[in-house]
Amino acid sequence: MENLLVNETLLVVLILVATLVSVVARRIRLPYTVALVLVGLVITVWRPLDIELTPELILSLFVPPLIFEAAFHVDLRLLRSTLPSILMLAVPGVLLTTFFVGAIVALGTGLPFATAIVFGALIAATDPVAVVALFRELGVPRRLAVAVEGESLFNDGTAIVIFRIALVTAVSGVFDPVDGLFDFLQVALGGMAVGLALGWVTAQLITRLDDRLISATLTTLLAYGSYLVAEQMHVSGVLAVVVAGLLAGNLGVTSTSPVTKSMIFNLWEYLAFIANSLVFLLIGLDIDLPQLWSNLGSIAVAVVAVLLSRAAVVYGLSWLISLSGSRARVPPSWRHVLFWGGLRGAISLALALSLPANLPHREILQAMSFGVVLFTLLGQGTTIKLLLKRLGLIERPEHVLERERHLGRLLAIQGGLRRLERLHRDGVLIDEIWEGLRDDYAHTRNTLGGEIHRLFAEHAELERELLLQARREALQAEHGALIDALRQGLLSEKIFSELRADIERRLEALALIQASVQSRRQPPAGG
Amino acid sequence: MSSIICATRGGEACRRTQEKAVALAKEQGAELTFLYVADSSFVGPVDKSLADAVTDEMARLGRALLRVAQLRARDQGLAAQTVVLQGTVQQSIKDHLRQVEASTLVIGAPRTGTPPQTFTPPEIQRFAQAMRQDLDIEVLVVT
Repeated sequence: MENLLVNETLLVVLILVATLVSVVARRIRLPYTVALVLVGLVITVWRPLDIELTPELILSLFVPPLIFEAAFHVDLRLLRSTLPSILMLAVPGVLLTTFFVGAIVALGTGLPFATAIVFGALIAATDPVAVVALFRELGVPRRLAVAVEGESLFNDGTAIVIFRIALVTAVSGVFDPVDGLFDFLQVALGGMAVGLALGWVTAQLITRLDDRLISATLTTLLAYGSYLVAEQMHVSGVLAVVVAGLLAGNLGVTSTSPVTKSMIFNLWEYLAFIANSLVFLLIGLDIDLPQLWSNLGSIAVAVVAVLLSRAAVVYGLSWLISLSGSRARVPPSWRHVLFWGGLRGAISLALALSLPANLPHREILQAMSFGVVLFTLLGQGTTIKLLLKRLGLIERPEHVLERERHLGRLLAIQGGLRRLERLHRDGVLIDEIWEGLRDDYAHTRNTLGGEIHRLFAEHAELERELLLQARREALQAEHGALIDALRQGLLSEKIFSELRADIERRLEALALIQASVQSRRQPPAGG
Repeated sequence: MSSIICATRGGEACRRTQEKAVALAKEQGAELTFLYVADSSFVGPVDKSLADAVTDEMARLGRALLRVAQLRARDQGLAAQTVVLQGTVQQSIKDHLRQVEASTLVIGAPRTGTPPQTFTPPEIQRFAQAMRQDLDIEVLVVT
């Protein structure tokens, strides 16, 4: 009982510290994950706390909600358009990173190659939490955010699988490439299959029940349940959560009522905030500064290895993708963001902490891992905003923001009006109140309409953006109509697939056009 | 009757360019055509179905933009025509001007200090100069 109270107090204090840090970080415009690590470090130096950050704690408690929330918010349509580049970076990219980092670290530190490869694998997964939070705040192109987030989602899974194979090889001294490949496929595909099955069932339940509390509970069960079931089956828990999150977010929640949607989104935003806050604060608290200091040389080699490997993988694979003529080409400016935004975080630390005690050079590997994570968070995490600015990826003119603001207000008003109309129709609102509120809403809507017209007259290019946006909305509605027609048996699967592919291609085309009108890549065409 | 072509693409300068073209056509009693070129060359080497979809969607966007311009011209008492072409922008405009034996080309140029635009004012001026020399027509650049 006393232990429970001690742990509860500790948890409350940690959450309190995290909340205060996030308030201050927002004021001084520092990524809050970076601020949390720094505060954790300061606390450790000032008064070390007796907290043991175990790999189980990170992997089974913090990672599922973090990954689930990220996957849950990813738009499958956007993900599909960038999938080839994401998969290139997340599968061959992770393998190449493992090898490059391993080779450079082995050469630079004198560690045995097999041990260095273990480090290469554990440090291969990117964790762009700090970067993605910044993306959302600054409004970088959605496809870029999806590319960064998508890579991280999938490379977590692949890195963990490769890490386990590398670890067995390092301990046993035996590596069979065929067995290794078979294990990799079994664990990765098995994890995805678990996520697919549980995610699909949960998505169906959420759609059918459409009850905010039950749906929110189901998503929580799915996040932790898919991880646990997959791990029990000795397949990738992380990949199971990724796939489950994608399905729940794209199939389940999209067709629920606004109340359910809002409840689920708020719940996951909150859970991700808590998990993120605790995990990064704990990282700061768990850093052993004397150990880092005594391994400074190895850490420097590891940092150089990670940066060189990231550059080789991002620029090399992006170049290959552009040569292949794939539609998922990575624009040059995005390559720099992918390179410098390749931060390392919770997964790498969890894997470093999970290294068996009898593994030779375990302490050096752990020091290098913490050192690299610290460098990427403090060095790259704090400077990525400058890079985005320099590349012109966050330039959002005031009139564009104003239009977005007006549009948001207009949509909110329409939503409110629809709700009031429904309440009136159901007899909840008496005629006089309904008419009074309706007129007030209509007045606000007209005022807003006037302001939008004025904005369009002053900034003619906004009309083109609105046209593109309207066309995208219309295509999405067409997509919905096709699904309805399929359900009603008016269309065969074959024709449905054909028509859906055409709509998806058109949506992709619109995304390309949108990107081109926002950059200077389109050729001259007149006013 | 002289023929004015107003090449437009929905950019920052499009509204004032179209208004200038309408005013000019009314003043000269000329026939006005709004022109849009769907040029998908910017997408680079992608598969044909996607390139076709981009061209098609650009043409659709162009038709909508020109329809808006046409309605605004009508509000000012002018019946304008619209033409959407597919191909590379400068060559398509040039070919069209030659084909209809246009007397004037009206194009817009972004104002200095506006957000990133499709092409820069010097590029537009060079294009205008080339049209004047090659086709011997009047070219009006609206800024």
